[in-house]
Amino acid sequence: MIMASDANTLVQPTIMPLGDGALLVRFGDTLSEAANSAAIAFARSLADVPLAGVVESVPNLVSVLLRYDPRSVQLAQLSGEVRLRLYARDDAALPPAAHHAIAVTFGGEAGPDLDAVASSLRLTPEAFVTAHNASALRVLATGFAPGFVYCGFHPPELQLPRRAEVRASVPAGSVLFAAGQTAIAATAIPTGWHVIGTTTFRNFDPQATPPTRMRAGDAISFEPAP
Amino acid sequence: MSGSLLITRAGPLTTIQDAGRFGMLAHGISASGPMDRAAYDLAGRLAMAPPGTIEITTAGLDFRVETGPCVLGFAGGAFTVRHNGSLFEWPGKLALKSGDTISVSPGPSGNYGYLRFDGRIDVPAIMGSIATNSRARLGGLEGRVLAAGDRLRLIDGFAPELSPAPAGIVEGPIRVVWGLHADLFPTVRDRFVSTPFKISSRLDRMGVRLEDPAGVFASSTILSLVSDAVLPGDIQILGDGTPIVLMRDHQPTGGYPRIATIITADLDRFAQMRPGSAVAFASVSVDHAHHLLRGQP
Repeated sequence: MIMASDANTLVQPTIMPLGDGALLVRFGDTLSEAANSAAIAFARSLADVPLAGVVESVPNLVSVLLRYDPRSVQLAQLSGEVRLRLYARDDAALPPAAHHAIAVTFGGEAGPDLDAVASSLRLTPEAFVTAHNASALRVLATGFAPGFVYCGFHPPELQLPRRAEVRASVPAGSVLFAAGQTAIAATAIPTGWHVIGTTTFRNFDPQATPPTRMRAGDAISFEPAP
Repeated sequence: MSGSLLITRAGPLTTIQDAGRFGMLAHGISASGPMDRAAYDLAGRLAMAPPGTIEITTAGLDFRVETGPCVLGFAGGAFTVRHNGSLFEWPGKLALKSGDTISVSPGPSGNYGYLRFDGRIDVPAIMGSIATNSRARLGGLEGRVLAAGDRLRLIDGFAPELSPAPAGIVEGPIRVVWGLHADLFPTVRDRFVSTPFKISSRLDRMGVRLEDPAGVFASSTILSLVSDAVLPGDIQILGDGTPIVLMRDHQPTGGYPRIATIITADLDRFAQMRPGSAVAFASVSVDHAHHLLRGQP
């Protein structure tokens, strides 16, 4: 399998309807650096200069969702406008992102899977934590639950599939690891990811505007909590 | 105005809703809002109501007006409504005064009913909406379902102008447009739109599980997919072949394959189908779905 890892290659997107009120612009079928960067860049260009009739645009891991109002715009016209935008886009034009440093308490009661994760990767827990924190990551997307962020990508030697079993609930602040990514739960959620630690950082405050602090494309680093 | 209601009995999953909390998908929050939007609008028209409703489920709801007067509009499915013990027709409206009791109990059809008032339900707006999101536990009354003993205050509110309701279709297959991953079901697509499914007893505001008695999806084996945007009406197929229609409190993103999406014009009708009902699907084009939304045949 060829991984589209060369960010300079312009990914060929597909435009497809998602129901009768949204279009999905997909930059790949599998998660890759190139597809994710292209989705983030396209979502930003739509946020900077909105398309008429589009009421909400949302970056996902490899796609951008455009919700539109069918009463105010024709599908064919909107698809054409999207195609023109895609043609004119520049995936390399991502402005510098914000940086978040997240302090994590690894292992122990709040990170019950740390030892198993480390041993699966043939590392000591300490060596795993060091390797984990050494990865230069960015926020790939928000999704699944309020403020839940996917962060990637870890190098190939830190790849591990999800757990076979799903935990019914892990608390807000849980730091999760699977599939070459680290994720942070901002609310209590069910998850099949490995729980490696906890943070006091909460990427969700329903009273704040906006309610989340991280945006797709932001740089993120993890460090041991003091 | 100012009024007060005391809930004396609440069926499970009774929630406060409004039109929905739109624009928050980028923060991982689905819009919620009424399971049957047309019925929500109708109840609002009847009561000249500002945004906001009590969405009831099949078990119904009893309340007492502690402070009145107020006007109640009710619609959605076919419930039985009693005002101080006397039966009234559903849908409809009633002028209520202090001390009056309302009892809504199950009727012949429907899963969701809407009670709307000529005053605004006084709960804090969260991200611009009072809709309860049962998945994220946001909005409504402390993010939770209503229960006996809860008091709701009604305060002054402005009733928006509503455009006339498009005539709903009440029979025939539920229409869908092919979904994000329809190409992953090349041999199953024809059977999906020619085989009846059944509404299971596992349904809520997040999703409706379907029974697949003919085993249309029994041998579907789809590898895990990259997580992607989800919208209400998406029909996803779980790893064990169970189809689930995602509803108003859906996950904002999901990794299961989606064969089709129920069109907006038919989603209210689908939401009202009771467990045990047979449901058939028919595919239409997006353009056709838009014609229906614009009130064209």
